[in-house]
Amino acid sequence: MKYRITHTTAYQYSEPASLSQNELFLTPRATARQQVLQTELVFDPQPQYLHRRIDYFDNIAHVFMVQQPHKALSLTAVSTVRTGRAQDPDAASTLPWETAVQRLRAHLQPEELDASQFVFPSPMILFNPAILDYARVSFPPGRPVLEGGLDLMGRIFTEFAYDKSASTVDTPVAQVLATRRGVCQDFSHLAIACLRSLGLAARYVSGYLETLPPPGKPKLVGADASHAWVALYVPDEGWVDLDPTNNVLAGESHVTLAWGRDYSDVAPVKGVVMGGGVHTLSVEVDVARVG
Amino acid sequence: MNTAPFTDPHRPGNGPASLFDRVVCPDGVYCEAFAGCGQPRAQWQSIVAAVNAAGPELLGQRQERVKRMRHEDGATYNPFDAPDGRGTPWALEQIPLPLTVREWSRLETGLIQRARLLEQILADVYGPQDLLKTGRLPSQLVFANPHFLHTCHGVRPSSGRYLTLYAADLYRGPDGNFRVLRDYSASPVGLGYALENRIVISRMFPELYQRTQIRRLAPFFQTLHTGLTQRSALRREDPNIVLLSPGPDSPIYFEQALLSRYLGYPLVEGQDLTVRNGRVFLKKLAGLEPVDTIFRHISDQQSDPFALRRETAAGVAGLIQVAREQNIDIANPIGAGFAETPVLPVFLPELCRSLMGEDLLLENHPAWWCGHAEGERRARVQLNQLIIAPALDRSAPFDSDLLAAIHSAPFAFMAWEPVRPSTVPVWENGRIHARPALLRVFACATEEGFAIMPGGLAITAADTEALLAGVPERLHSKDIWVLSDQPVEPFSMLGGLHAVAEVRRSSDLPSRVADHLLWLGRYLERAEGLIRLLRSVFRRLSSEARPEDIPELEFLLNLLRAGHTIPALPEEGGYSSQELEAQLFAALYQEDRPESVIAILKRVQDAARNVRDRLSRDSWRVINRLEEFGDNPAADPQDQLDNTLFTLSAFSGLAMEGMTRSLGWRFMDMGRRIERGLHQISLIREGLPRVCAVSQNALEALLEVSDSIMTYRARYRTAFQLAPVLDLLLLDESNPKSLAFQFSQLSAHVEDLPRQNERRFASAEERMSLAMLTAIRLLDLTGLACSSGSAENGEPLNTFLETMEARLLEFAQQVSAHYLSRVTATPHFSVRLGEREP
Repeated sequence: MKYRITHTTAYQYSEPASLSQNELFLTPRATARQQVLQTELVFDPQPQYLHRRIDYFDNIAHVFMVQQPHKALSLTAVSTVRTGRAQDPDAASTLPWETAVQRLRAHLQPEELDASQFVFPSPMILFNPAILDYARVSFPPGRPVLEGGLDLMGRIFTEFAYDKSASTVDTPVAQVLATRRGVCQDFSHLAIACLRSLGLAARYVSGYLETLPPPGKPKLVGADASHAWVALYVPDEGWVDLDPTNNVLAGESHVTLAWGRDYSDVAPVKGVVMGGGVHTLSVEVDVARVG
Repeated sequence: MNTAPFTDPHRPGNGPASLFDRVVCPDGVYCEAFAGCGQPRAQWQSIVAAVNAAGPELLGQRQERVKRMRHEDGATYNPFDAPDGRGTPWALEQIPLPLTVREWSRLETGLIQRARLLEQILADVYGPQDLLKTGRLPSQLVFANPHFLHTCHGVRPSSGRYLTLYAADLYRGPDGNFRVLRDYSASPVGLGYALENRIVISRMFPELYQRTQIRRLAPFFQTLHTGLTQRSALRREDPNIVLLSPGPDSPIYFEQALLSRYLGYPLVEGQDLTVRNGRVFLKKLAGLEPVDTIFRHISDQQSDPFALRRETAAGVAGLIQVAREQNIDIANPIGAGFAETPVLPVFLPELCRSLMGEDLLLENHPAWWCGHAEGERRARVQLNQLIIAPALDRSAPFDSDLLAAIHSAPFAFMAWEPVRPSTVPVWENGRIHARPALLRVFACATEEGFAIMPGGLAITAADTEALLAGVPERLHSKDIWVLSDQPVEPFSMLGGLHAVAEVRRSSDLPSRVADHLLWLGRYLERAEGLIRLLRSVFRRLSSEARPEDIPELEFLLNLLRAGHTIPALPEEGGYSSQELEAQLFAALYQEDRPESVIAILKRVQDAARNVRDRLSRDSWRVINRLEEFGDNPAADPQDQLDNTLFTLSAFSGLAMEGMTRSLGWRFMDMGRRIERGLHQISLIREGLPRVCAVSQNALEALLEVSDSIMTYRARYRTAFQLAPVLDLLLLDESNPKSLAFQFSQLSAHVEDLPRQNERRFASAEERMSLAMLTAIRLLDLTGLACSSGSAENGEPLNTFLETMEARLLEFAQQVSAHYLSRVTATPHFSVRLGEREP
């Protein structure tokens, strides 16, 4: 599927901000399932400083700074990508999860060594016994690792309520598990915490999901949002993208931006602002089919 | 435990008793001072002799002097350091620790190799990561290690140096060999204390110091300085090097201030620096000045709130981005703390062979990583004999069930053999004790490789446990003397570099410092004005007359009420004398009343604390005396106020003398002039309606609180009359208390402030101060007189003063906006974590 994504972030300040520094993960990376056809960043006001780099996880990161006093700041990322179908691995024939854990520990293959960095706690994903207990239910001894992963995804989907008011950008995983509610970021963090406490490798994927309007209704522009899901490492198979918010394997309608250990590695827009008083923020995302 | 005396009590000859006789050295540890047979080791003989020759009394006096000098000497005085030495990091003890040439040169070679090795490891971990890919470094050491900063991967230091300053803690084991206990690579501390120890000890034992050939420390600092300068000079001539400190709240601010003075690098805090166009700038009065090198004294994690997503005021937002662009040399680079990973030493012998093809020369303290099967087994089997410690994150909390914790994440733990450091003689509580000691030694990068400081801190504690816990405030230190077999050249940097630093400082100064000095001036003046007023009140209350018979008392109380120092009068009636007494007591001592004397003195001290490296030692002592106010609330208030006023005057005098007419002094004096101007205006505005009502005594009181009564008497020799009094308080430019004097001083100051461009037009603040000065010079007071209880023709004056007050406030704002606006109060930025992903 070919998509054109328009992602606008706009800040309003009650007082002039003298300096604003931002880091962006808004340029989609190429993946096995995704081809990036065109990308562009548009700023207002124009930044005095802009720098692009490939980060530690091979994502595309931009740093920009607005250095003159400003009361508003907006940036828009426009990208065109072509996505492919979801992977279709035979879950039942994947390795027993304990073997997968062993393979990651031994990490004899470069790919396994690379995957093994997603086994440990990270800034926003800490372990506790309750998380491990919750994970174990999906992973009885000898269960094929992807089967366990799919089961975990299904349980989070059915047992947790989608609730925008239940969490904030830095809600800890333990709280999500305790309250059984949250949003895609929370569900992804929880799934990752579960998988990692078992010794499996899981990473956080930031991106978009095309939303389809109810039958018969026109699609509203800007009503889409950014999205997040999980990738589980399955030895011999590779990374498999699981979306616990929707209980599906990430497919054609999932557009990948970047991945990392957790949200803090790949937050689409984050930064520091000097002055500026009170901020208000608006975000608009549009994922449109083209061609 | 078997113990043996330091010296043999039955030694032949039965000579005079030695102070070391009763000291026992525990069995099975190395004794630094004495060989087994009870004889001092060769390098100790002159020190043991000197200690014995001095005797207990002199040693006791010396220890007191050492304590005092350590506080009063050097760059600055640390007000947190209790005078008795408690709370002082690494309090200095007088007996040095000598090491022979042979011992030292082995150490030196080993340390140089170790620093090179650690630098290569850093370069690999933050670069190609071959060690990780080939399994020479276990993956957990990178992936599960909080010392590894992902965001710094790929940042190549502009100087090419991944490690500039390195320190290690060593101890000498029972076999006499030195072993490394810990490495310090983020921002090693103790260098300044080692320097200060040397300065104090060399003055304390001038003869012994001169007679013994001891290698000097100064050349090491010269080497460090040259290294930093040469690297930056590749990009720019005369590079700008700053020392980045967390500020006065740091427990070792003393060290940072001392190094700043000694090396001549301005002492800056995070808020003094800003990032623009991919470069770092220092905010100074005349504008932004590019910075080439940062000598970093803040932790890795605090360094950059932007890249590391931390709400910390210590760092500089965007610093890592500048480093990524290679536009700044940071010593040490952010992320260098990786080499402090507790378990890393376990891998050094292998890494040394594989990276450098050499055997590791300096032994590590025996330790095992639980991530290895052998280490985990040892930890389990010998749980009670070994010390279990975090392998990666020293600050990680310890689980109550250690075995289970090791089992679930073995890679996060390591097992240490118990440490048995050598003992050194320490003079404490009137006698000599044998105490365990660590050696903290330092290395710096040069163009030719690493150089080791010939000396360092010998750190001691009452027992090994306290020694290893490593809380600087609970440890003592000694000067390490590295003996030389060749004559040493006298060499000190205290002269040359010190002067260089001063020249640079006076030409311009950081906005933050100017801001604090301005406020220091304002608070000083505010305290003085208030104290004069209160003193006049207490003087009258303590007189023999009954309060109601003192006509001007109410006049003075009303002045206090106008300044919110005491509560306003209720609509009807008044306060009883008991109530008034309580109100006045609160005006002196109640700390949570913002306008009380004690609260304002506290603000004086706070402002001074922030600029203490700009104040002389004597000024500091004076400021510290302000602390005594409030210690004894039962004392006579009038005495207390007199004493405090005296202290404040002493400070003013010292500031006049000591600060020269530098920019710093100008800002402090501007603060005083602004505050005194405002105070004078409010006194007259509040006083004018009532000054004629209660006889001449009120005019006298007005002169008294304005500190102008002597001048009046000398000048007019008449009874107190309204017009002459006002003339003296407002218009007389030769009276330092007059409003006109304040305006003329302000006018002179703003002319001398730095400006970015060639002066073509007067600046806004110049025009404003000139307008105020002209207005007051043109003020006409004729016709103003007391007539039938009120001031005749007083209204125009009131209006005039109102205008002046507004203009003066506007002027103060303008100065702040022009010179100080880049300084904002805490917190000066907000971190946006980003939007939650739905």
